[in-house]
Amino acid sequence: MTGAGRYTADFDLPGQLYGVFLRADRAHAMMRSVDASAARKHPGVVSVVTGADVANAGFKFPGTMVSYPGRGGQQIKVPPRPTLARDRVRFVGEEIALIVANSKLAAQDAAELIVVDYEDLPAVAHPEDAVKPGAVQLYPDIADNICFDYEYGNEAATQEAFAKAHHVTRLKVESQRICGNPMEPRAALVAYDAAADRYDVYTSNQGPTMLKPGLAFVSGVAPEKIRIVPLDVGGGFGLRSGSFPEHVVLMYAAKALGKPIKWVGSRFENFVTDPHGRAIVIEGELAMDRDGRFIAIRTNWLADQGAYLTAPGPLINTANGMLTLSGVYNIPVGYGRHRLMLTNTTPTGPYRGAGRPDMAYICERLVDQAALDMKMDRTEIRRRNFIPKAAFPFKNAAGAVYDSGDIDALINHALKASNWAGFEARRKHSAAEGKYRGIGCATFIEPAGGGAAPKDQVAVRFEEGDKIALMAPITPHGQGHETAFPEIVARVLGVDPERIELRGVDPQHSIPLMGNGVVGSRTAMHYGSALKIAADDIVKKGHELAARKLEAAPEDIEFANGRYTIKGTGRGIGLFDLAREHRPGASHPLNANGEWALSRSFPSGAHVAEVEIDPSTGVIDIIQYTAVDDCGDIVNHTIVEGQLHGSVLQGVGQVLGEIGVYDRSNGQFLTGTFMDYYMPRAGLVRNLQGHELNVRSPTNPLGLKGVGEAGTTGSLPTVVNAIVDALKPLGIQHIDMPCTPARVWEAIQAARKTQLIS
Amino acid sequence: MAKVGMKVNGKQVSGDVEDRTLLVDFIRDTLALTGTHIGCDTSQCGACTIHLNGRAVKSCTMLAAQAEGADILTIEGLAQGDKLHPVQQAFTECHALQCGFCTPGMIMASVGLLKDTPKPTDDEIYHGLEGNLCRCTGYINIVKAVKRASQLMAG
Repeated sequence: MTGAGRYTADFDLPGQLYGVFLRADRAHAMMRSVDASAARKHPGVVSVVTGADVANAGFKFPGTMVSYPGRGGQQIKVPPRPTLARDRVRFVGEEIALIVANSKLAAQDAAELIVVDYEDLPAVAHPEDAVKPGAVQLYPDIADNICFDYEYGNEAATQEAFAKAHHVTRLKVESQRICGNPMEPRAALVAYDAAADRYDVYTSNQGPTMLKPGLAFVSGVAPEKIRIVPLDVGGGFGLRSGSFPEHVVLMYAAKALGKPIKWVGSRFENFVTDPHGRAIVIEGELAMDRDGRFIAIRTNWLADQGAYLTAPGPLINTANGMLTLSGVYNIPVGYGRHRLMLTNTTPTGPYRGAGRPDMAYICERLVDQAALDMKMDRTEIRRRNFIPKAAFPFKNAAGAVYDSGDIDALINHALKASNWAGFEARRKHSAAEGKYRGIGCATFIEPAGGGAAPKDQVAVRFEEGDKIALMAPITPHGQGHETAFPEIVARVLGVDPERIELRGVDPQHSIPLMGNGVVGSRTAMHYGSALKIAADDIVKKGHELAARKLEAAPEDIEFANGRYTIKGTGRGIGLFDLAREHRPGASHPLNANGEWALSRSFPSGAHVAEVEIDPSTGVIDIIQYTAVDDCGDIVNHTIVEGQLHGSVLQGVGQVLGEIGVYDRSNGQFLTGTFMDYYMPRAGLVRNLQGHELNVRSPTNPLGLKGVGEAGTTGSLPTVVNAIVDALKPLGIQHIDMPCTPARVWEAIQAARKTQLIS
Repeated sequence: MAKVGMKVNGKQVSGDVEDRTLLVDFIRDTLALTGTHIGCDTSQCGACTIHLNGRAVKSCTMLAAQAEGADILTIEGLAQGDKLHPVQQAFTECHALQCGFCTPGMIMASVGLLKDTPKPTDDEIYHGLEGNLCRCTGYINIVKAVKRASQLMAG
C-alpha cells in the first residue's frame, strides 16, 4: 500500500545475472538442432544452457500426486518431461534454453539469435480431438492420448437405475480452459552459496513444503540444501503451488556460474507456462422417478491435462469429482468416469475450485434442465432431493462423507434474500423494455481440506518487547492469514492481536515444522486449529508459572482476559508480565507448538443470480448476486467476505468471457495477452450480497470449513442457470461458457429464426 | 544510451539508460523504487500507474527518455512520512487489497480519478478504474474504498 511490499522481482542480489528463457513458438515439432552459437557471442551474454547441455545433469522427470489405481486397476501414465526440451517440443511456450547475461536486455536480444531447426508435426489441441481414432499421438506408449482412465461409484447399479428410470435428463457441457492470471508475473531469483552448499530460492509460491519436494526431486538436490525465502506473493489461486522447470534450470546455472540469476516472466510467458485451469468436457445424466426424485447420476469427463502432467492436476481432476458426485442431493447410486487427456497445450492444474466448480456446474445444470423436463419448479425439485440436515454426516454415492450441513436452510435464506418470489414482476418489467431477464440458483457442497502432509504444525514463540511470533510453513498470498492467525491466538490469550506476528518459514532452515501449502481452502482450518491448540497449551503452561509466581495452588488460579488471578481476590498477573520474567527466545517456558492432523470439511452454499440481457448486443448485465454460505465458524468476517468477492468475480469471469483459446488445427495459442484474454474489471458485479448461515464443523477445534473457493464453485452454475432462464422464452435450453455478447447474440438470432419458421 | 533526468518524489534524479528503457524499468531498476509493479506486457493491467506532471499515467507505456524533466510521483511518495494519503487510509479501512500486487497502481489511479472527479458516482469509478486489473478482491471493496476516500478528502 505504500510500496514496501517485496515480491520476487523486487529482490536483487549482489553480482546477479539476468536470465531469459527461449520457448517453443509452435505446438508440436521435432527439433533437429538448437544453434546457440550466435547467442553465446552476443555482448553481455555469460552462458546459454540448452537441453543438450543439461542432458547429463541428472535431472529426473517430474512425477504426479496420483498414486491410486484407475479403471481396471491401471496406473496413471506419466509423460516424461525434460527440464529443457531436447529433441521435441509439445506445447507453445515449452522451455528450450536459458540465456544468462549481465543485463536483461542483453539476454533478451541474445535469445532472438538462437536458431531452432524445427520440423513441424501435426498437433492436437482439444481433448475431443485427442481422443478421436487416428488423432496425433503425443507419446508412443500412451494410447489414444489417454494418460489415465479413472472411475468411481457403482457402474452396474447405476446402469440398472437408469434402465428403469421414469425420465433421464442429459446434458453436455464444457468448462472451458481458463488462464488464472495472478497479477504478479511468475519470477525466480536463485543464488547458490558454495561455502554452505545451499541454494536460496526467491520465487512466487504457495508454501515451501509444496514447492520443495518437486524441486528436490527433479533437480536431485537434497531438500535441506534448498532454502525457500519467505516473501510477498502476488496471488496464486493454485497456479503457483508447484515447482517449474525454470526453477531447476536456474538452480543449475546459478551453481555453474557462481552468481545469482534473476528471471522475471512476462505476462505472455505466464499465459503459456502457468498451469491452465478447468479445460473439461462433461457429459452428465440424471435419472429420476415420476415424482422427480433423483435415483441415479452419471458423469463422463474428458479432462485436458495438456502436454505434460502437473503434480496436482490429475489429482484434482479425479478425486474432486468423486468427492462431489451427487452434489447436495440424496442420490443412492452414481457413477463417474474421468478420462485424462494429453494434448499439445499448456499443462493444466488446480485453479480456484479445482474440479468442484466443474462438478457443481454439470450437476446444477442437469437439475435445472430436469425441472424443465418434468415441468416442476426448480426450487421444488431441489428441495425434494436435498440431503436432509438430520442425515449428516452423509455418505455420498461414491463413499465420501460430508460432515455437516443444512441445505434447506441455505436455499430458504437465499430465495428470501434475493426476493426470488417477486421475480416474475421484474421479468415483465424488463420485457417491456425489450430485455430478457432471468434468475437462477445453484446449491452445492464441496470438500475443503485434505493435503499431502499428514499434519500441519505451528510454533508460537515469546519474543522481546511483549511480542509473540507465530511460525508456520506457509506462504500467504492474499488470504489475510497475517490478520486472522494473530486474532485466533489473541482471542485465546486475551491479548492485543497487534502484539502477535505471523511468519512464514522454510521448515528446514528454521524451526522444523511439517505441513501443507496454502491451497484447497484448508489453511485456517488446519494451521488455525494448530494455533488454537498451541494457544490453549500456552494458557495451561502459564497457569503453572502463575501459581508459582503468585504463591498459590494452581486450582485457586483462574485465567480471563489475558490475566491469571487468584479466585476471589484481586491479586493476579498478566500474561505478558509473566512472560517478561523469562528470557525471550527458543527456550521461553511459555513457548508452545501445535499441530492438527489432516481432515476435511464440507462447506456448502446456495447462490442466486439475476441477469438482464440486451438482445441487440448480447450483453449480459448481472443485476444481483446473492450468496448464502455455510463456512462453519469463522475467524474474521471481513476476510471471509473478501474471499467471496474474489472467488465470485473469478467465476463470473469464466461465465461471461474468459477462455484460453488454441487454434485446433495447429495448436497455436491465440489468447496470450490481456488484449485477447477477457479479464473482469471493476463494476462487473455491482450488487454482491454475502450471507452466512454457518453450521459449526465437527472436524476441527475452530469449527471452520473452508471458504476460499465457494464463490467459483457456486457462481458457474448459478449465473449460467440465470442466463438460460432469461433466454427460456426463446426456447434456448443451454448456452456454453463463456457467454460472450457474440455467442449470446448469435444464439438469440438463431432462436428467433427458428421461432419464425415454426 | 541516453542520460535522463527528472524529479521523482520530490528528489532530482538521473541515470544512463538504453534508449529503449521503459519509464517503469527506470523507476524500478535504476531508482530501486520497486513499489511500482509490472503486471503485463500490453498496457492493460495498470499495476505500473504513477503520476507524471500531476496526471495518472501507465509508466510501462512510455520510455524513460520521454519523461525527461518531468515531475513524477510514485506510490512511495504518496504518504507524507507516517501520515497515509486518504486513499491509502481508505484502502486499509475497506479491506481493498488482498495479495497487494495491483494495489500501488490501483491507488495511484484512484488518486488521479478523485483529482478529476472528487465525488464520483459508482459508474464513474468503474469507468475510471477500467485500466486497472485486480484478480483477488473482485473490486467490490476497492470501489468502496474510493468512495470512502472521497468522503475523507471532502473533509
